[in-house]
Amino acid sequence: MSGRRSRSTQASAVSRITDDQINDLVSKLQQLLPEIRDRCSDKVSAARVLQETCNYIRSLHREVDDLSERLSELLATADPAQAAIIRNLLMQ
Amino acid sequence: MGGEEDDDDEDEEDALVGVVISRMPPPSSIKKEFLKKWLVGLKALSNSRSSSTSKKEMSVLERKKAIKLSADVAMASLKNGTTSWSRALIQNASKDGNNRTLLKSMLGSEYDKKLRIGSTTTSIMCSKGIRNTTVLRRSCGLRRARKISKDQRVRAGLMAKRLVKKRTQVLRSLVPGGEYMDEYSLFEETLDYIMSLRAQVDVMRRLANASAFSSKS
Repeated sequence: MSGRRSRSTQASAVSRITDDQINDLVSKLQQLLPEIRDRCSDKVSAARVLQETCNYIRSLHREVDDLSERLSELLATADPAQAAIIRNLLMQ
Repeated sequence: MGGEEDDDDEDEEDALVGVVISRMPPPSSIKKEFLKKWLVGLKALSNSRSSSTSKKEMSVLERKKAIKLSADVAMASLKNGTTSWSRALIQNASKDGNNRTLLKSMLGSEYDKKLRIGSTTTSIMCSKGIRNTTVLRRSCGLRRARKISKDQRVRAGLMAKRLVKKRTQVLRSLVPGGEYMDEYSLFEETLDYIMSLRAQVDVMRRLANASAFSSKS
């Protein structure tokens, strides 16, 4: 019923997504990745971009984790006055 | 005595301003919004700590998990449900019963609404991905000088396809809700997710630096 219909429109929608659009996305990803951006970026393969993307996300996750741990130790003894100062300064 | 303390505080504050402001560019509005939401979560943390008489104090690990969770949820909630990854992140967080109070305090009345929206969209989004491994190579316009046999080309192409497929799978496991997305959406969501993660890391780092600085007295 509606399931079949949505599937067929999705199939034609998939084929309508052009290579250019995919290209555009991949090049945008390339721009974000520090590893690839700084080097000659003409010949980078899709596999390479994907690999660097995964590595980058993993490193960002690790940073979040490390920072959370640091903050856990730092904020353990934080008093409310300190928190207010920090908030004000960071908001500027 | 009072005068001395005030001077010390002022010096400390000035120094802190210098550290936070001059070394880094001013935070964007998104980062400010993120900080606001995140602080709501962090405040809930300190409230539970101070008011608990029967419970023991939170361990460093527990506090770390709570800090991380409130940061992730704060970043995701900024999206107001416009991206799949943010909806998936909040959904996954709400699966753990321990997170209920934190999520409720951060998301408020939108909490239940977000959950309902999330569950319907993920069921629609199961569709086949697109195979487009040779896109980059074709559109590059660069041709190799040396001759490669057709057989080799075919095999290389297949290997590339397999490699892309494998790495796409890894990417799916890294982006919240990635398993349910088609390839195109996955890439789009990845872009947005990376931008958000970067902003999140930046603010967390600023706070950590500021806290470390101000605690050295």
